[in-house]
This record gives sequence, C-alpha cells and structure tokens, in this order.
Amino acid sequence: MVVSKESQDFLDDLTVYLYSSGKKEEEVKGIVEELKDHLHEAEKNGKRVDDIIGIKPKEYMKQLASEMPFDVRGWLKYLPIVFMGALAYTVMGDAIKGEIKYSLIECIGYPFIFLLYLFSISRLFKYTSSHKVSKWKEYILFLGVTAVIPTASFVALIFLGKSYSTTAIHLGETGNIVAIMLSILAFIGIAIWSKTWDAIMLPAILFLPDVLLKYTNLTTGPKDMLSLLLSMSGICLYAFLKLKEIKLRI
Amino acid sequence: MSTSQILKGILEGCLLAVIARGETYGYEMIEKLNTYGFTMVSEGSIYPLLIRMRKEGLVTTSEKTLPSGGPKRKYYSLTKKGRERLDDFQERWNEVASSVNCLLEGKNS
Repeated sequence: MVVSKESQDFLDDLTVYLYSSGKKEEEVKGIVEELKDHLHEAEKNGKRVDDIIGIKPKEYMKQLASEMPFDVRGWLKYLPIVFMGALAYTVMGDAIKGEIKYSLIECIGYPFIFLLYLFSISRLFKYTSSHKVSKWKEYILFLGVTAVIPTASFVALIFLGKSYSTTAIHLGETGNIVAIMLSILAFIGIAIWSKTWDAIMLPAILFLPDVLLKYTNLTTGPKDMLSLLLSMSGICLYAFLKLKEIKLRI
Repeated sequence: MSTSQILKGILEGCLLAVIARGETYGYEMIEKLNTYGFTMVSEGSIYPLLIRMRKEGLVTTSEKTLPSGGPKRKYYSLTKKGRERLDDFQERWNEVASSVNCLLEGKNS
C-alpha cells in the first residue's frame, strides 16, 4: 500500500508524536495503519491529506493522543533497563581508568542528568513531529538537546563537586574488577533482553581500545589519540554494517 | 455556531447507527455517512471517536485481509453495549429533534 509523500510524512510524524507521548506500541501501529488505509482510499478519489485531517496536524495528533492511555507499564519496563545500561557504561569507563570514586553530588547528579536528558529528548521529538520546523532549526534543536544540555549539566556537576566534595563511594583494585564484571554482565543481560548485539558491541568498541592500549608503551597523548581513532572507526564500521543489514532486509 | 460544534455530541450516535447496519471499516463509514448527506463531517474526526468507542466497549474490531490481498483492514462491529447506547441515542435524539423543530417552527407542543 503506497500513499503520497505528503501523507507518508504525516503518518511518520504521527508515529513519532504518539511514541514520544508514551503510547503503547500496538495501539500506535494500529491507528497509523488504519489511517494509512484511509488515506490510500481517499487519495484514489483525489483527496489530499489536509482534506482528511480537516484541522491543523498538531491539533489532530493531540485529539488522537488524548483518547489513548499513557503506557505506564511499558515505560516502567524500559526505564530501569536504559538506566542500568547508562550506569554500567559510566562505571565501566571509570573502572578501566582505574578510578572509581564518586562524590555524593555525583551519585545524585548523574541519575538526575540522565532523567533530564531522557525527558528533554522526548519533548523534542514531540515538538518537531507536531510543528512545521525547517531542517535547519531541527538540526540546531537536536544539537542543543543531545550535546549542549548534557555537556552543560556535566560541567555544572564538576564545579559543584569541586566546591562540595565529599567522597561517598571509593573502590579499590578488587572493587574495580568487580565493577567491570558487573558492567559486562549488565551489557550481556541487556543484549539478551533486547535480542540485539548492540548492547555488547557498542561498549566493546568504545572500551576495548583503551584496555588494549594500556599494555603498550605509548605515552598518554598518542595513546588517547589512537584510542579515540580506533573507537571512532569501529563505530563507523559497525554503523555501516548495520545499515547494510537493514537494507538487505527491506 | 459552527457545524462541527453541533455535530460533536451526535457523531458518536451516527457512527453507532452506521456500524449497526453491518460490519464496516473507517473509509466505508465516511462513504455511508456521505450518502446520507453528512458531507460536513471531516473524515479524520471519526478516528479519535472510534478509539474512544472501542475503549468504552461499544464496538469491537477484527483484522481482515482484503480479498485482493495486501495489508489487513480493521473492521468494526457493534457490541451489546453499543446496541443499547444506540437505542438510548435514538430516544434522546427524537426528543431533542422534535423540541428544536417545534421551537424553530414556532409551534407549541
């Protein structure tokens, strides 16, 4: 079933809007399929998507969303898993460097930034899907939310930590190894749960160069450069292979 | 007052009446409404209502593959509760309609 680009754009926006409003996956799919069927029939009779919706797209999306319940259980299911992934990622990075040492402010600050980040991303998706935003504005908004907000909050956290530093958690050698083991277990767990290799591959690509380079005689400068280079090319290669796989499936 | 405001309360009853005539899907409902002169109903406006009616248990849906093949289509049929709501709507509508008509025509009932 093929609909015009205009209609498909509307359906895509609607999908993003409903997901970012926390609606159930099956319900979102159900209504989007149903509307696609309608648009398909209507276009055969020379009607356009604007004639069907009748009102502003944003108003219409709102009307649909207000009839669908918020999927609390679905969100409660995802949140701890994403949280666990972020925690394992942070802990592992620090453990490899051999410095697991968190102040009280960091213990509160990291989870807070994480929640703030998730919240702002979901608001952003909701906004861009229901407003006519130029591509340029969209890029700037995404850059702002995905780069500026986390960076600014981490900088704020570092400054706060400097003026009120109280060490709450400090792990020694054995602690570090345990932390790394637990993080690996968490990544494996998430990979099994989500049935994809991403949760294992991405941390591996990001951390393995660091670990391997530790045993070389390179000085810190070139070592860091090489590690960054290896990780970057690893991510690019992985993304390329993934895209190829997706294209093959379509 | 705009037509859509007048329609707001009665569109649900009209949809129940359309579905009561036999299992049907979204686009067909609009076509049927059009044959009765409901050309002022904006097509998309039936979907939020259909979601609510299903939530309230007035209608049930079933997915059917089209005879021509291709994707599945969602068909609606009336439940017992939906039938009761339709009867209720019919009764109220008769009352309202006759009162409004009497008033506008200037007769005393």
